[in-house]
Amino acid sequence: MEPLERLLNLVGLLLETPTPLTFDQIRDTLDGYRADNVDSAKRMFERDKDQLREFGIPLQLVDIDAWGTEQGYIIPKDEYYLPDIAFTPEELGALLVAAQSGGEDTRAEQAARKLLYGADGGVLAGLAGGPLASGSDARSALVLDCADSAQRRRRVSFGYRTSQGQEGRRVVEAFAMVFRGGHWYLVGRDADRDDVRAFRLSRFTSDLDDVGEGSEPPEGFRAADHVRAGPWAAAAEDHAEIAFSPKVAWWAVASFAGAREVGVDEGWIVADVPMADRRLLASLVLQFGPDAVVRTPSALRDEVIRRAEALDG
Amino acid sequence: MAEGRRSSPPKTADRLGRMLAIVPYLVQHPGSSLDDVARLYDVAPAQLRRDLDLLFMSGLPPYGPGDLIDVEVDEDDHIWITMADHFSRPLRLSRQEALAITLRAAELLATPGLPEAPALASALEKLRDSLGPDTAGSGEAIEAAAGGRPAEHLETLRRAARRRERITIEYFAGSTGEWTTRDVEPEEVFSAMGNWYVAAWDVAADDERLFRADRVRAVTPAGVTFEPRGLGGAGRALYTPTGEEVPVRLLLRPPARWIAEYYVTVDPVELDDGSLEVTLPAAQLGWVAALLLRVGADAEVRSPPEAVEAVRDLARATLSRYR
Repeated sequence: MEPLERLLNLVGLLLETPTPLTFDQIRDTLDGYRADNVDSAKRMFERDKDQLREFGIPLQLVDIDAWGTEQGYIIPKDEYYLPDIAFTPEELGALLVAAQSGGEDTRAEQAARKLLYGADGGVLAGLAGGPLASGSDARSALVLDCADSAQRRRRVSFGYRTSQGQEGRRVVEAFAMVFRGGHWYLVGRDADRDDVRAFRLSRFTSDLDDVGEGSEPPEGFRAADHVRAGPWAAAAEDHAEIAFSPKVAWWAVASFAGAREVGVDEGWIVADVPMADRRLLASLVLQFGPDAVVRTPSALRDEVIRRAEALDG
Repeated sequence: MAEGRRSSPPKTADRLGRMLAIVPYLVQHPGSSLDDVARLYDVAPAQLRRDLDLLFMSGLPPYGPGDLIDVEVDEDDHIWITMADHFSRPLRLSRQEALAITLRAAELLATPGLPEAPALASALEKLRDSLGPDTAGSGEAIEAAAGGRPAEHLETLRRAARRRERITIEYFAGSTGEWTTRDVEPEEVFSAMGNWYVAAWDVAADDERLFRADRVRAVTPAGVTFEPRGLGGAGRALYTPTGEEVPVRLLLRPPARWIAEYYVTVDPVELDDGSLEVTLPAAQLGWVAALLLRVGADAEVRSPPEAVEAVRDLARATLSRYR
C-alpha cells in the first residue's frame, strides 16, 4: 500500500471517529497497519503520526475516560477544518496572483490552494490580468522569521550593517514589518539605543536569534512612519517652479509626486513641484542636467547653481 | 498553478497536502474537468489521475461497498466524487502559510498601480477575521508602504505577457534620456525596488532587455505571437553587465553609499572613514555624469578621465541654462 493511501485513511478515520481510538483499535480498522509484526506496525504508525503533525494536522492524544487510564488518538473537527470564508471571485483571483508572485518558498501557494475549494467556476477567468512576480531583495526564510517575530512580539538579535557601512550586533524588540521600495524592513525598539528603528533585511549579516520576550509597541505606533520614504512621499508646504525640456518632460514631471504642469514656454514644460526638502529636490533636479531649470524659489535655484559650480572645476 | 513549471518527483507530503486541498474542491465542484483542476493546483494531469486512483481505494471503515470514497473520471475527463464528506472542507491554514501569503500580498500592494489591490486588501482582511489572531497575527504587524508612481500601461503589458503577443512600445530610456520605439516580446511583469518592470525580448536588438513599466508611454499590438524563451526578472539584478561597459571607479562618502546598494557595482573597498570605493560598469557615461551631478560632493569619480570630464561637461551645460 502506498504511504499516501495509508495517510489519507488515517486522517479520515480520526476525523470521523466519535471517540478517541487506541493504536490497537486503529490497527484493527486500517489495512495499512495490519502487518504481522505489531512492533513494525507501531513504528510505521508513529512515523505517520509525526508526518501528519508536521504537516499541521491537529492529531491529538487524549484521555479516553475520566480516570486517564487509557489514551487514544483523534483529530478534532473544529481544529482541522478551515472556517468558511466568503471570498468574492475577484478576491480569490487576487490571492492567487499574490501567492504565485514568486520566491523560493511555496507556503503562500499552499495557502492559496486551500482557499480555492469554495471558489465558483470563475477563478481561472479571474486570472485575466496575467501573472506578476514580486521581487524582494531578502531571503524568504529571513522575511518569514522576522514577520513571525514581529507578530509574536519577540526580542531578537542579529548582525547588521548600516547604510553608512557600520557593522554590529543589534538587539531589537520586533513590532512590525514594512515593505517599501522593494525592500523589507523590520521595525522595532532597538534595545541599546532605546528608540524605535527600522532595519532593512538586505543589510542583515546573520540569521535571526530569538532572545526572549519583547514588548508592545508604544501608543499610536505606526510602522510605516519609521521607514524613511523617498523625497516624493514627504509632506511639502513649499512649492518650486521647474521647467523641463521637451525631451524629458513626460518622464520627468511624472517622477516628482504631486507635480503638475502649469504652462509651456518655447516648448519647455513648466511644472509646479511640491518641495519638502530643498537639498533633496536640488539633487533630483540636478540628475536631469541641462534638461531641467529651476525658476523659483531663488533658494532652490541658488542651491542648484552652487552645486553645479562645485563640479565645474 | 503557474504554467510551464517543472516538477520534481512528487514527495508523499506534497501529494498529501495537494489531495487534502483538491478533494474539498472536487466535492464542491462535481464534474470539474481534470485539466482545469490540474492547472489550478499546479499538478501534471497524469499525476492527478494517479492520486485520484489511490483515493478511490481509501475510505472509512468498515469498507463495505457503500463506505469507500467513489471517484469517477468519465470519458470526457470530468471528475465525480462521492462519499468524501469528511474531506469536504480543507485543512486550516497554518500560521506559516497565513504569514507567507500575507507577506507576498504586501510585496505586491507596495508597488503602485496594481488593479487587484482593492480585492487583495479585502481578501486579507477576511482571512484575518476568519483565522483569528493566533493564526493570522495582527493586522498592524505587516504593512505595505506604497511609493513611486503607477505604471499607466501595467494591465496592457500583463495581458500581452499572458497572451504571448509581440507589442510595439514607446519607451523612455533612462540611460540615454531618449524616447525610442521598439518591438518587444514581454514575458514577465515583476516588481523590484518599488517599481514594475517587464522582462522582454527586444526584437531589433535581438537580445533580452528589462523595461520599467512606468516609462512606457504607448503600447500597440504588433499583430504576432511569440514562443516564450523563459525570460524572467524577479529577484534578479536589474542590470547585468555585458562586458562592453566603461568601468567607472567611484569614491562614495557615507551619504552616497546607497549607490552601491542600488546599482550593480564590483570590487568594493571599504575605507577607514566609512567611505566606499566601487567600480560601476557604465554603458553610458552620460548616465553616470547625471548620477554624480545628483549626489554632488558626496561622491567623486576616480577614473577614467573621460568620466571625470563627462561630469564637468554636464555641470557646465547645466550652468549655461542659468546664465
